[in-house]
Amino acid sequence: MDNKMNFADILASTLHDTKNSLGVLLNNIDDIIVSCREKNCDRHAEFYAMQYEIQRLNNSLIRLLSLYKAEKSQLSANIDYQAIEDVLDEVATTHEILLNSRGIHLYTESEEGLFWAFDRNLVAGVLDNVINNAFRYAQNTVKIRAFTENGYLVLQIEDDGRGYPPSMLINENKQPEFKQEIDFKTGSTGLGLYFSLMVAGMHVNNDKKGFISVMNGGSLGGGIFSIYLP
Amino acid sequence: MKRVLVVDDFFNFRLTIKNMLRSFGIMYIDDAASGEEAVRKLALRRFDIVLCDYNLGSGKSGQQVLEEGKFRGYIGYSSIFIMITAENTAEMIMSAMEYQPDSYIMKPFAKEVLEKRIKNIAAKKENIRDVERAILNKDFDSALRICDELLATNPGNLSEIMSLKGEVLLKKADYPRAADFYDKIMRMGNVGWAQLGRGRVELLRGNYERAKDIFEYIISHNNKLMPAYDYLAETLLKLNNAQEAQQILMKAVNISPRALLRQKNLGNIAYRNEDFKTAETSFKAAVEQGKNSCYKNSSDYTSLAKTLVHCDNAEEGLKVLGSATKEFPNDNDAQLHLSVAESFVYTKMNKIDEAKRSLTDAQKLAENMQGDIPSHLALDLAQAYFLTGNEEKGEAIIKNIVSSNHDNEKALDDVRMIFRDMGMTDKGDALIKTTRDEIIRLNNEGVKLAQEGRLTEAIAYFEKAAGQLPDNKIINANAAQVLMLYMRETGVNNEYLARAKSYLDKVRKIDENYADLAALLVMYRDLCTEEQYG
Repeated sequence: MDNKMNFADILASTLHDTKNSLGVLLNNIDDIIVSCREKNCDRHAEFYAMQYEIQRLNNSLIRLLSLYKAEKSQLSANIDYQAIEDVLDEVATTHEILLNSRGIHLYTESEEGLFWAFDRNLVAGVLDNVINNAFRYAQNTVKIRAFTENGYLVLQIEDDGRGYPPSMLINENKQPEFKQEIDFKTGSTGLGLYFSLMVAGMHVNNDKKGFISVMNGGSLGGGIFSIYLP
Repeated sequence: MKRVLVVDDFFNFRLTIKNMLRSFGIMYIDDAASGEEAVRKLALRRFDIVLCDYNLGSGKSGQQVLEEGKFRGYIGYSSIFIMITAENTAEMIMSAMEYQPDSYIMKPFAKEVLEKRIKNIAAKKENIRDVERAILNKDFDSALRICDELLATNPGNLSEIMSLKGEVLLKKADYPRAADFYDKIMRMGNVGWAQLGRGRVELLRGNYERAKDIFEYIISHNNKLMPAYDYLAETLLKLNNAQEAQQILMKAVNISPRALLRQKNLGNIAYRNEDFKTAETSFKAAVEQGKNSCYKNSSDYTSLAKTLVHCDNAEEGLKVLGSATKEFPNDNDAQLHLSVAESFVYTKMNKIDEAKRSLTDAQKLAENMQGDIPSHLALDLAQAYFLTGNEEKGEAIIKNIVSSNHDNEKALDDVRMIFRDMGMTDKGDALIKTTRDEIIRLNNEGVKLAQEGRLTEAIAYFEKAAGQLPDNKIINANAAQVLMLYMRETGVNNEYLARAKSYLDKVRKIDENYADLAALLVMYRDLCTEEQYG
């Protein structure tokens, strides 16, 4: 019998374990923040910083686990109709308190009564990652918009930060294959983008495939991330 | 005042959730640390909301808590069941079979998200309550009308209502409309339930080749959508391709092994294909998984025991039956089933005295049940009679089964199987043929009366036949049809309408998917409208 375990499997099961602990930790901090607020404790803000870091860790782990599953071709999209307003609302609820703690306002904007077919969990995972980044870079405002364009649903996140570095920009011209080197020095592994590309690519409808775009500018003058779903 | 049950094996996590709930004003909260405890608490008291972790360690899983709660009626339609998961839920959603939770929520989540989820679900339940009620009353036209009214308002649960509408169209046997409806949805996206629905339309219509293509297409594009495998296997059986059906289900249990009903199904098909090794593996899995499940059934044990006999391991088979006796202490059906199987195993071991003793036990149990014996059990009992030399009793039971199912190839196959198992294939075929010919002759005579326009006589004839063969769907369907033909000629009358309906209800109960049922229902509805406006 082959007793040797696959390292990736060990890693995955450890990630699960870690993620569970993080979950408990995150909720504990939630409780501490509430009681802190009630008692007007002045170290309040530090807890938010902790909460942010844990959420970031958690998002990374979810991403890693999804990528692990994709690697083992165990990941498939569960496509169903979603009320876009519902989806944006839930994403906003998840991040609002934390963003507000840094004085950042989160707006959502959607065509009324908009429905689209896609995998809600995977797409929400992409949005969570991007908003989590915006927490670091935005100054006052983050805006999530949903609209349709040429037969695609576009979910777009804009902020008023200093924008994405040139190396991360992705547009129609520079799209298909993502081959960015992992940059250990800056800590930017690019995994977030890789994950977003993968999720977008898992959405295929009538010969059209999902894609993402990463640009700067827009109405808020910062970064603009968009995921296009057919 | 909302009552909430929180189920998680981690104390810390239960505490966290309870704190969340208290923070939004819910005061009646109970908790359970295991699936077993959860089911016990659900049995004692009705909860409005159940928050249940999917992974509960050893014992029952969250899905099994949901299944058992719904199966036993502890979780009513208006209760909210939210499954808490640690990872991406796509697979759970796609592999879930009969019962699904109202929502999945991934750990960790903010309490605001939980609160919003609960509120949203409560609102959605409110808006589909009337649809569910109409379906329950089999008032499909009203159900469709309410669905369309709701859809026009773009509700948050659009998808749920659309999928419900598809189900109603299928139940109503309005296949052309159902096909159009699913086609329209699929043009907008590869929605799994719509693809499955489209395939089911063809399966129900009897277009098996087309159904096969659709289910194969679904699987080739999304190999995690587990119901597609089950429907494909069903389609292949209709196409008399039991070998391929087995291969498909083997693929499915390979991808998603924890599916009790699928394991049973695979076991049965493999047994039929005389692939006893596969049957053994599947029935063993069924017995193992059944330990925590409401789908636990004595047939898992008896099937395993019979399979073991074929694997030349009868001793092991007896052990399986022995352990089963303890699993079903006060269940007469199960005890009867087990005694019959025991008799079979002993016969195969050439221990005739023991076999007869087991059969005597079974006979006593059967007498206590006063003829109310489920059909699969009746078949086993008949087999035991044959094996212990009491052919007369065995034959009587077989005749009864065949005459109720004379056109049901699957049921007849089961009968053939039993005889093949006993090495009496010819005897079985002969018995099926004579009984079947008798019923066909009986039916044809009535049909002839109807064709000759002697409808009053045909009515009397079929109603009498239906009295003698209450479980034969063709006879019942024909009784309904001649009543309706008569009303078409002579005008609608309430008394006949009611009788026709009772026969149609019977047909639906015997075989909801009977091909002619749809046309008969349309005929019936037309007569009802005539009665209303005429």
